[in-house]
Amino acid sequence: MTTNAATGAVKRTEKSSSPWAIARRKFLRNKLAMASTVFLILVIILTLLAPFLAPHLSPIPDITKVNISKMSIPPNGDHLLGTDKSGRDVMTRLLYGGRISLLVGASATLIVVVLGTIVGSVAGFFGGAVDSLLMRFTDFVLNFPFLVFVIVLNTILFGIVDGLWVLILVIGLLSWGGVARIVRSKVLAEKENEYVLAAISIGTPPAKVIIKHLLPNVLSTIIVQATLLFASLIVAETGLSYLGFGVPQETPSWGNMLAFANEPDVLQGKPWIWMPPALIITATILSINFIGEGLKDALNPKSQR
Amino acid sequence: MLKYTLRRVLGMIPMLFLVSVVVFFLAKAMPGDSLSGEIDPTNTNPEYIAEMREKLGYNDPVYVQYYRWVTDFMSGDFGKSTRYKMPVADLIGEKLPNTIFLALTSLLITYVLAFAMGMYSGRKPYTLGDNLIAGFNYAGIAIPSFVAGVFAVYFFAFKLNWFPFAGSVDIEIDKGTIEYWMSRIHHVMLPAFVLGMFSTASYTQFLRNDLIENSRKDFVRTALAKGTPMGKIYNVHILRNSIIPLVTFLGFDIAALVGGAIITEKIFTYPGIGLLFLDSVNNRDYPTVMAITMMLSAMVLIGNLIADILYGIVDPRIRLG
Amino acid sequence: MKRKSMLWLFAMILVLSAFLAACGGGGSDDASESDSGESKDGEKATEEQSGEPQQGGTLTYGLDATPEGLYNWAFYGIATDAEIIEFFDEGLIEYDENLQPIPNLAEWETEDNQHFTFKFKEGVKWHNGEELTVNDWVFALETIAHPDYDGPRYANVETIEGAPAFRAGEADSISGLKVVDDYTIEVTFDEPRLNNLTNIWSYPMSQKEFEGIEVADMSGSEQVRTKPVGLGPFKVENIVPGESIELVKNEDYWNGEVNLDKIIIRVIDNTATVGALQNGDIDMISLQPVSAPDVEKLDNVEVVTAPGLSYYYVGFKLGKFDNASKTITEELPKYQDVNLRKAMAHAINREEWIDAFFFGYGKPVNKPVPTAHWIAADDSEVNVYEYDPEKAKQLLDEAGFVDTNDDGFREDPNGEEFVVKFSHYATGNPTFESRSQAIAQYWEEVGLKSEVEMVEVNLYYDMVEKDDPSIETFFGGWGTGTDPDPSALWKADQLWNYPRYDNPEADALLEQALSVEEVGDDQEKRAQVYAEWQKKVTEDVPMIFIAELDEIMGVGEKVGGFSMDVSGYNNPAEWYLKQ
Repeated sequence: MTTNAATGAVKRTEKSSSPWAIARRKFLRNKLAMASTVFLILVIILTLLAPFLAPHLSPIPDITKVNISKMSIPPNGDHLLGTDKSGRDVMTRLLYGGRISLLVGASATLIVVVLGTIVGSVAGFFGGAVDSLLMRFTDFVLNFPFLVFVIVLNTILFGIVDGLWVLILVIGLLSWGGVARIVRSKVLAEKENEYVLAAISIGTPPAKVIIKHLLPNVLSTIIVQATLLFASLIVAETGLSYLGFGVPQETPSWGNMLAFANEPDVLQGKPWIWMPPALIITATILSINFIGEGLKDALNPKSQR
Repeated sequence: MLKYTLRRVLGMIPMLFLVSVVVFFLAKAMPGDSLSGEIDPTNTNPEYIAEMREKLGYNDPVYVQYYRWVTDFMSGDFGKSTRYKMPVADLIGEKLPNTIFLALTSLLITYVLAFAMGMYSGRKPYTLGDNLIAGFNYAGIAIPSFVAGVFAVYFFAFKLNWFPFAGSVDIEIDKGTIEYWMSRIHHVMLPAFVLGMFSTASYTQFLRNDLIENSRKDFVRTALAKGTPMGKIYNVHILRNSIIPLVTFLGFDIAALVGGAIITEKIFTYPGIGLLFLDSVNNRDYPTVMAITMMLSAMVLIGNLIADILYGIVDPRIRLG
Repeated sequence: MKRKSMLWLFAMILVLSAFLAACGGGGSDDASESDSGESKDGEKATEEQSGEPQQGGTLTYGLDATPEGLYNWAFYGIATDAEIIEFFDEGLIEYDENLQPIPNLAEWETEDNQHFTFKFKEGVKWHNGEELTVNDWVFALETIAHPDYDGPRYANVETIEGAPAFRAGEADSISGLKVVDDYTIEVTFDEPRLNNLTNIWSYPMSQKEFEGIEVADMSGSEQVRTKPVGLGPFKVENIVPGESIELVKNEDYWNGEVNLDKIIIRVIDNTATVGALQNGDIDMISLQPVSAPDVEKLDNVEVVTAPGLSYYYVGFKLGKFDNASKTITEELPKYQDVNLRKAMAHAINREEWIDAFFFGYGKPVNKPVPTAHWIAADDSEVNVYEYDPEKAKQLLDEAGFVDTNDDGFREDPNGEEFVVKFSHYATGNPTFESRSQAIAQYWEEVGLKSEVEMVEVNLYYDMVEKDDPSIETFFGGWGTGTDPDPSALWKADQLWNYPRYDNPEADALLEQALSVEEVGDDQEKRAQVYAEWQKKVTEDVPMIFIAELDEIMGVGEKVGGFSMDVSGYNNPAEWYLKQ
């Protein structure tokens, strides 16, 4: 397989396609990454369609209403995955919960990528005092034990800002350090290229140089980083919610659903309540990781596949 | 090298100071205090609570409280836990050995497993064994540690009864005997494995890829041409080259263990710093929260420092930067 | 050198695998042991030897919360610590199943409820070998009254004559304590009260043991934390902080022979409770209602229940309290209509709710005092608000809460939108959200739009206490002690009167119940006054009384001699293990 792929790549480069087209072709040929992409898209579509699907999946599509008469029912024809301890349909909650978990992951990733890219590219481009100041600050943020500070910050902001955004902001604001470092080092390397020096010498404003010339070249790195971050930030959400420091309890999220495993009777006696979120979290993270690996391969001009 | 190390150590001081400011004000900003929520009328009364708030200095201006805390902290007095009513230093001293033991066991398991699996995979890539290991790796990276922990308790402690489900040692065994240490190891194995799963998987992966890459390098071909057996080449030439970058991860490991310990200790009810931290946050035991946060931040700093220094030893160019 | 490191690596792997095997072996041994315990032989033994205590054996007692490690009555803060102290220390006074004080280590006499004479038993020994004398009690009282004392018990000493002066540093001793001899002491209170005896601090502290330790350092001392001594049936042998405690039989116990050789107390996570009981890893544990149904299913464990002394309620914020002047300064209008409150009470199906969230280990409570308490009024004497949605709707209609804009929910009498805001505390426990949601749904069913707000638990009680405007109706729970006086939670001048209930007639009844002139020693009269007060409260509905919960204990089949009532369980000296 390796040799085939290699010759294929070589053949196509001869036709001098753009690097992006090559990457796309490489990615499309990566079966694992493609399967993962299909899975992830499926998950996203299903969760987005939750309000439309819910009435067809369950006789009780309302995810906030407590149904005392229908508590803790094992999976059956009416409730494909059973109901939880509040009498809410697990399948329905899984779909709605996915929206929240994916939303938290995606929004936090966006914050991280934007912040990290701005800080990293500015530091890398200007260098000198700006660089050392920004990098000191980055070190400072990186040196916080993440979990510890998320827990403390989340406790403080709880109730002041709407719960979900607290979590997104806190996770986002504490995680950008890594991206900033990577972007900076890439920019530092790119900056020395002649076309950049030329652009600077003819007086192009720094913002334009960064956006037009430097960022496109570090974009591939950012994309790969963002993918992997997306996965780890979903883990952050679910983990924090599991510990009771995450999304407010009234909002269903995969982490909050898994937190039911903390209940004495659920872990052993009612596995249908905690296993579905546990499995879907794992599957989602796994698929995002595969996509990330696939992208890394595809975007790496040196890779053989 | 010494100069570089010294410079890095000195650089930590302003960082620690900044961290202390952040830690203090964050702790103060947490809603409620250690006395809120105490409404058991059989046990206490509002007058006592008001008096204790005054006694603990919660009514002083914040900067006064900060100054008091930071000066005490520098002189080694971490304050008195409001919940356990004992010096925080003693409290941490009580739990820290457990966490260190957990962390070291976890590191040991990580490195042993990663070496064994990484070497196997690296030497025999694309075989069934390699694929199995790759499968384990992907699972190790993707399964969040709390999910793995919950599964582990469910299967290994309850269903199979192989490991205890909680605690750090069996109390009936006398301290210092061999059984005592065996009991401690028995208690720590499961949490340590879960804690180290992620790094085990990533190191295995790293080692495997590195071995494969190195085996294609010129010096290997040269050695082969000279008639050196392949086994020796792996053990002597390639492994050495692959281990060096792995060693530099050690520093990052220390930082990663800090966060991981919180979740792992919670799941396994393993009485260490992480459990103490969660407990203290929930009970608003400020002195303890602040001391642990400072300690963990310092550990992350030191971890990064070790990583940088090790990296500096491996790759002298870094020292200039 | 290379080979050495490889060898070392293999050695490690070998050790690890040998270890795994050893653990596996140990595990199966345990399993076979518990199997034989469940066999017919075991059952026969139970029948033959029931009532016949056996000597020896080690009992493992579980705790599903982590103790703080303050193992002294004067310093402990949480119930978990008290549960442990119970095993190795006891007080001068005990309470019977009617919560009436009975002599334990001391007897008492009083003529006027102000002057008491206590006579201590002779020959009772502390675990360190010292004999118990009245000086140990004086020592405890003076420790608690000391200005450096950092525990919460001063209220139990304050009423002794001269205690405030001692605390202020104006006196070297508490003038109300007169030591007659080693076994006799006279105690004078500042005024006659009916609850002086139940209120006073009744736990001695070994003076010898704490010799040379400043009061300020006591709570951190090893005498409190790791090497406590007591007077009880078991002695503390070893403590692994936060994890387990080893207790051994006290050979010199004053109150009869102790059956067990040893008690091991183990802290376990509540998710592990059922499994640990099933495997026989623990023999006994106090259960949460949520675990009890699963424990009921186990063959080798019996579930024992006793009525508890705490209850849950839904409170209405009726006013605002000023802590400086100790008065209710403002009336909040939203829930002032008593018919609205009554309707909201009638709307809640408490039986269904308790079954759903407490698995039947509790029952509806209809008054501000737990039913098991001797001052509790009979349900026929108070206003009971049964589940009756039709009645609720009718009351709301009469009060002017009708749906004027056809949105399916009632508007207030002025035609404005009316939304009930219901607050509940949030911890990591996911069922809190659903149980509060369920209550809100009951209200919605009678046409009141309701919103649930989960508030972080530390913030919650602060907000409730400070009358934060976002708190309108709120969930809470509290317990009463053996002293029946509910003043601290109900009188208008009390900070902990969270609903800001203000009815001078009710307050007058509470004062009357404690008055020596009007009630005296007449317990029936006193109970009658409290019943009148309870009637008043249930008429005014400042809170909806929801549920009182049972105390539940999971007891392994090997354990004998255990019993439990409202005052707690029997003396652990009587427990034994069936062989």
